[in-house]
Amino acid sequence: MQCFMCGADVGDSKVCYNCGADILLYKQIIYTSYVFYNQGLEKARVKDLSGAIESLKSAIQYYKYNTRARNLLGLCYYQTGELVRALNEWVLSKNLQEDNPDADRYLAEIENAPGLLSKINSTIKKYNQAIEYCKAGSRDLASIQLKKVISQNPNFVKAHQLLALLYIQEHKYADARKILSQAAKIDSNNTTTIRYIHEVKEQLKEQNTGRRRKKNDTVTFADGNDTVIMSENSFRSMLDNSRSSFMNIVLGLILGLLICFFLVVPTVRDNVKDGNTDTVLALNEELAEANTNNDNLQSEIDELKASLSAFDDKQDVATSYDNLFAAQNYYNEGDTATASEYIQLVTKEVLGEQGQAAYDSLYGQLSPAIIQGYYDDGNNFYTEENYESAIINFKNVVDVDENYNSGAALFLLGDCYRLTDQNDLALECFEKVVELYPSNKWGRQAKVYIAADDTQLDAKEVGE
Amino acid sequence: MIDFEEELKKYEPAIEVEQAEADIKARDLTDLTDLIFNMTAQNNVTK
Repeated sequence: MQCFMCGADVGDSKVCYNCGADILLYKQIIYTSYVFYNQGLEKARVKDLSGAIESLKSAIQYYKYNTRARNLLGLCYYQTGELVRALNEWVLSKNLQEDNPDADRYLAEIENAPGLLSKINSTIKKYNQAIEYCKAGSRDLASIQLKKVISQNPNFVKAHQLLALLYIQEHKYADARKILSQAAKIDSNNTTTIRYIHEVKEQLKEQNTGRRRKKNDTVTFADGNDTVIMSENSFRSMLDNSRSSFMNIVLGLILGLLICFFLVVPTVRDNVKDGNTDTVLALNEELAEANTNNDNLQSEIDELKASLSAFDDKQDVATSYDNLFAAQNYYNEGDTATASEYIQLVTKEVLGEQGQAAYDSLYGQLSPAIIQGYYDDGNNFYTEENYESAIINFKNVVDVDENYNSGAALFLLGDCYRLTDQNDLALECFEKVVELYPSNKWGRQAKVYIAADDTQLDAKEVGE
Repeated sequence: MIDFEEELKKYEPAIEVEQAEADIKARDLTDLTDLIFNMTAQNNVTK
């Protein structure tokens, strides 16, 4: 170790043998400084920032080159929201000890935080302004400023304390207690904070255990940034007004619903009915138009069918002539059966005069064979109990010759009618048979049927 | 009971950024080691 006076090497001696300086005292001062530093560090660790600040101040008063204590003091100031004081300590620390990485780091962090310094400086200005407001008696303005300061710089303990003091002065002890508890969380052992808390507790205790609340006690509530203070009577009347307003709203709603039910709903219904009537009329018109279109289309279809039939007839002309020639050829060859088949395929109406004449001539020659064919087919269908088909064939025979086979065809036609429950037609046929052949077996049987038309006759017994 | 006016007197304006330099310059950095140094120096002179 060197002598603080002459710089001579003194080793572990208590006195400098060169200049006689009291080295022991010097060492004790430095050790004491570090003792205070250790105390400050311990207090800072338990958030006793006020105590830490006091200890650290002592440490640097003993030994100003204790830069660790000065750096920590700056940190404590920073933690209590006093940034400028913190900066001052770090700048001084840097000046007193060039190689000072902690101070370098703290200063660099402040410089690198954009807007932090201006923001904190703004809160400090507002705090100072609030003090001026307080001294000028404008406590409301001071409260507003301090609330802003706290919102922007929540660690500013002195702002908390001043706001709490204002609340205490205005007997807002609950608000004061809230603010003070926030301050105590930042700096747990601040004597001012503790003193205010005791005061607030005492006042609240008096309020709670003391006299009964008067009816005209004030009621306080926050409205945005403002605190509204009202007497209890005014507050009650305001609530009553709120109730009456609510009742008015409810009555208005009910009235609105009634108006809607009695005035609006019928009008809407009428409109709906009118709308429906219009719709029905429109649909009727559309239906009429559609029917007209349908008729037009139907007439077009008929015209087209007529055209088509004319075209078919034209087609049928050639076929009919072919069939006529084929019938003539087969007849000439002596094959009357095939000729009969072909002549029946001819449509007489489409033939010309010569063709019709030829048709009549050939048909007259082939008619016995044709009628015989119809009769045979009718008998076959009758035997098979296919009376509908039998009726068609027998009717073809009867149309040409009612007397065919001594009335057998006419009788069998009547019997087919009888068996298909066409009794009128059956009776007509039987009467003709009786008229034409009253004494042959067909006439006799027909009489039996006429006498008792419920008589059943087995078809097989009659058919040939 | 807290006296508001008396209590208010304890609150001093905080140092603003613009005042920082002046505050540093105005700071008395004399410590106990300086006092010992001065006292020792005076003693040596008187001897």
